[in-house]
Amino acid sequence: MKIRQQHINRWRLWVLSMAFLLLVLTPLLNYYLQVDFIQGWFQSLSIGELWFVSPLEGLERLLVSKEFYGPLLVGMLLPLLLATLCGRVFCSWVCPISFLSECGEWLSKTVRRSKKMPQWLILPRYTIWLALAGELLLTMLLGAPLFVFLSPPGIVGRELMTLVFFQTLGLEIVVLIAVLAVNLLVTQRLYCRYLCPLGGLLAVVGRKRRLQVVVQHDQCVRCNQCQRVCPLGLAPQQGDGQSSQCWNCGMCVAKCQQQSLQFKWDKR
Amino acid sequence: MSSPSNRRIFLKVVLLSICVFPRRVAARQRFGLTVKTNFLRPPGAVSEEFFAAKCIRCGRCVEVCPYRCVAPLGLEGGVMAGTPLIDVEQIPCYLCMKCAEICPSGALQKIAQEKTRMGLAIVDQYSCVAWQDQTLCRTCYSVCPFPDKAIRLEQFRPVVDERHCTGCGICTHACPVSRQRGGKAINIEPIYATEFSLPSDDGTVTR
Repeated sequence: MKIRQQHINRWRLWVLSMAFLLLVLTPLLNYYLQVDFIQGWFQSLSIGELWFVSPLEGLERLLVSKEFYGPLLVGMLLPLLLATLCGRVFCSWVCPISFLSECGEWLSKTVRRSKKMPQWLILPRYTIWLALAGELLLTMLLGAPLFVFLSPPGIVGRELMTLVFFQTLGLEIVVLIAVLAVNLLVTQRLYCRYLCPLGGLLAVVGRKRRLQVVVQHDQCVRCNQCQRVCPLGLAPQQGDGQSSQCWNCGMCVAKCQQQSLQFKWDKR
Repeated sequence: MSSPSNRRIFLKVVLLSICVFPRRVAARQRFGLTVKTNFLRPPGAVSEEFFAAKCIRCGRCVEVCPYRCVAPLGLEGGVMAGTPLIDVEQIPCYLCMKCAEICPSGALQKIAQEKTRMGLAIVDQYSCVAWQDQTLCRTCYSVCPFPDKAIRLEQFRPVVDERHCTGCGICTHACPVSRQRGGKAINIEPIYATEFSLPSDDGTVTR
């Protein structure tokens, strides 16, 4: 089946919503119906006997305790494989923060009737590497994998679980609100662009990924629509689709009128 | 475009810090005790020195617990934030061992039910109505999952045997006596929470 390029965005939004629905439904099913086939969220998820562990959580745990633990490594395997092949697809296709940000962006666009998201703060692109390195160093100084509290996909799941199980919200909701605020009010996806430790880690892992957005220069008419639509502020017409920052959301691919931007599987 | 040198520096910093930082920073020594009387780690927990380092705060044990006794510590817990804790006075652990089975990080390790050592029940003989000869209360003895082993009655007074007590806290939860200074007449002391605690002679404590 060949997905038409214009429909990529619709597919992505569908996957994002389904992933968010999973986060909402899992604790509800667990709590009220005792259905525990699917457990957990994006810190650690189990579907039947299939275990996933978030690479960031796993890495922090390994760095701090300096001790290997089999199930942890096995759980990290599939997410890491996905990241090596496809890059940060988790961020753009699954992450609940992406879902909430998309909702917020849609809302702010309809309310303000402006198509542009704010771009108050533009930092150099290597900020995300510095953020990741700093966070890992601080983790080791503190002696605890505390930066899981700056990895919003996990926090969303935790919050939903505490909401369902204890009918309260944990203090982590402050982090969540702050992340959404900078994402929506300061710069479009500021947190995802420059600060998210999980995103940074996935970007490091996926810097030589197979799935890339490739530009065919002979078809490009330099309309710069792709750059305008990119949530990360990249310039796909200049080949940024192959940079480590690109998270393969496909918005530029869907937007491109000339079809000069395309997903390519680099066979190597 | 990020230059490759940045990544190289990043990797070097990470590698260097792995070598430089001391093995297993004992967070507990810098921040007060989280585990205390009647506030225990779930079954199979590694010793408290390493718990903060090993637990990834995913909350799976909280979600899986069918009795809702495991609760995550909030951000006010500092370094221990997000780690699981059981308040046995509220809801004790019924030793279903599900949390130890699903823990993905190795902070809780699979352990046999009877080998669990979350703590040790200690009878406060000055508060216990049976020891004070006020009534013939034997609540803790009746509810203990290992009756006549972990708690037995000697002259109608409850006596805890540390060779069998798992520290599940069911007795504490059931105890009708609430002390004015907090706690019940039988309390769970997490004496096995540190690596330096003493194992018993016959080797039943696997820690």
